Amino acid sequence: VNLCSVSLGVQGMTCGSCVQSIEQRIGSLPGVIHIKVSLEQKNATIIFDHSQQSPESLSDAIEDMGFESSLSE
Amino acid sequence: MTKHEFEVAMTCEGCSGAVTRILNKVEGVKFEIDLPKKLVWIESDKDVNFLKETLEKCGKEVKYNGTK
Repeated sequence: VNLCSVSLGVQGMTCGSCVQSIEQRIGSLPGVIHIKVSLEQKNATIIFDHSQQSPESLSDAIEDMGFESSLSE
Repeated sequence: MTKHEFEVAMTCEGCSGAVTRILNKVEGVKFEIDLPKKLVWIESDKDVNFLKETLEKCGKEVKYNGTK
């Protein structure tokens, strides 16, 4: 298992319940070990298994939820 | 086109913004969102399950209230 972490910019969140639904949904994706979404910094820090997910797939998953996400290192 | 009414547990503009962006990605769909009443009306020929699953992508609970 090779873990790495990425921090993605997330636009469009305005309240805690948006944060929660993202953490629940993205957190339940296969290969996602840990996710922390920050409303203030408008970003999500995700630790994931590189063989199952990638920054792009995670960014797509966030876009799929209707939020805008940007790959920011 | 039939007009469907869904109840979506949206609590703020962030959630209704997410639903708006999700529905914008779907062609052949006209929609209206009433955030205070947590209602989403969709005019489309697509079947209800497809519409419901699309709405559920935003991570919120979705109930189908029937056609209007």
